[in-house]
Formats: sequence, structure tokens, C-alpha cells
Amino acid sequence: MPAKPSFSREIVNLLYNAETNPVESCIQCGTCSSTCPVADFMDHSPRNIIALIRADLRKPVLSSNAFWYCASCYQCTVRCPAGIDIAGMMYGLKRYSMWRDHFKKGLIGADFSRRFARMIVKNGKSFEPALATPYLFHYGLRAFLYDARNALALFVRGRLPFFPKKLKRSAKFRKILNRIIPMGRVA
Amino acid sequence: MSQETRLLIIDDDPDFVEGIKSILESAGYLVDAAYNPRAGLEALKAKPYDLLLLDIMMGRGAEGIMVARKLRKDPILSQIPVLIITGLREQIAFLFPGQPLHPHLLPVDELVEKPVEPQLLLEKVSALLELAAKRKAEK
Repeated sequence: MPAKPSFSREIVNLLYNAETNPVESCIQCGTCSSTCPVADFMDHSPRNIIALIRADLRKPVLSSNAFWYCASCYQCTVRCPAGIDIAGMMYGLKRYSMWRDHFKKGLIGADFSRRFARMIVKNGKSFEPALATPYLFHYGLRAFLYDARNALALFVRGRLPFFPKKLKRSAKFRKILNRIIPMGRVA
Repeated sequence: MSQETRLLIIDDDPDFVEGIKSILESAGYLVDAAYNPRAGLEALKAKPYDLLLLDIMMGRGAEGIMVARKLRKDPILSQIPVLIITGLREQIAFLFPGQPLHPHLLPVDELVEKPVEPQLLLEKVSALLELAAKRKAEK
């Protein structure tokens, strides 16, 4: 019977199914961080995050904004000389922190993910006006005015619907969902 | 009787595993743990177990369901009773607003939701073991 796994082991367990190399094979070359287009906005660069995971520093990893800022462009994964799927790891960290309800406060990432998934399950389609409304004032008045101007321009061109479009044959869509996770009836 | 009863937990949360392991061990069960679905399936094939405690949200998503599906296809492993322990409602509550989770993925299974009451856990475990013993005797 194996001993209680460390944090780094937990992350390896989370990514057990990945076909790429485990995070332990990182050589800390920094290619991921230098290639990352959003690294400037992260409090810990991807290279840093991997080092923190390997040092079993759970708290700084989970309270980091890095994986929520990841744009999933996969440049790090493609360029990593050690063959690690770093973007996949970022997704893994999102799942980990959401399943354990442990993430940096004030970030909209987790809340947005849940809201988005709920909307897709309910309507089968994304409806941007309802999706974005709760975060309108999150980034201050200037961002709000910027968003309002964009929304107006989209609306004028008929690109922003007032009412959500429903999926045709939504019952079938729910059946598919229930087949993927055959537990509980989908509302 | 419970002295020789072997249980396996497949759950990726080591803290949760420690918790339920200590509850089950104090009731006299022998408990092993696997922290990812692959290690879990290997453990099931390597040693005979009397009961499996299975988490749902692991790896890339609801991979516990994939484990259950694999068990269902295996003539020997499908005989093992499975207690599904999941925080699924908490994770994706939008799927099941106010409705009960379907308890039957496998021929012999039962479901409890996280957080688990120790007494309820022990009751479900012994009920499942009894049911499995009865099925075996009928054969």
C-alpha cells in the first residue's frame, strides 16, 4: 500500500493519462515562460509553477493566478524540450483547484467556468450577454465603458442577440450528456 | 468475518482517502488505496477485493465512470460490489438541481455523496458486502 502521496504526486496522478512526459522531467530551461504570451500577467511563470509543484509547495501553486490566465495557446507544450504537456498541466491545475474549491479569491476564472458549463448544459449553446453580465464592473468603470461600446457595436451589426437561441432537439442533447455521465437526470 | 475483508479505495484525494481509510480500518476491514484509475485497475487485477470504494471525479474528468464501465465488461471484476463516493453534485450541481443521483452504474453498486457520515459509510459497506455474499451463495 503506497504512502500518502505528496502534492507533486497528486498532480502526477491527476495527469496520469497524459501521453506526454510527467512534470518531474522538467529541466527548468524556461522555454515555456519565454514563449508564453500571457506570462507577463502571471504572478508565477509556467517554469516557476512547475518548480513549485516539484517542491510540493501546494499553497503558492493553488493561490497563483497562472493557470487561470493561461490562454491555452499550447506554445509551451509544443516547444518544451522535455516533452511535457504544460498547457495540459494548467488545465489539470484548474480541475484540481475547482474540485477542492481552493483557488485565489477575486479571480473570475473558476466562477466563469462553472457558469459557462451550466449554460451549455441548460441551453446547449453559449449566450454571451448573460455570460458576461455578472463581470461587467469587475475590472472598473473604464473596462465597463469599453465593453459597453463593443457590445453596442456588435448589437448594431446584429451580432449580439437579445434572447438566447435554444438548441434544436435539446432532449437528444441531454440524452448525450446523460450517456457521458450516467448519474442523475439532467434537468 | 470482517477481519479478512479486503477493501480497495480508488480516489485521487489523499486527505479524503486517509479519512475514510481510518474509519474503515477501525471497523476491522483491511484497506488498500489507489490514487488514480490506472493504478486502481491494476490493483483490482493483482489481488482479490471484496469491495471497491470508487470516486468519480479523477484525472481528466468523470473518469470514475470509465472505471465502472471497464469493471462492468469484465466477468470477474463485475462481481465486486462498488460503493461510489462522489462530490459530483457539488462539482457539477447544475446537472442535477434537486434531483437524486442515479445509484446504478453497475449490477451491484451503491452511492454516497461527499462529505460522508462515518456511520452511513459503514452501514452501506456492510450492506453491500452482505448482498454480494448472498449473490455468491445463490450461484
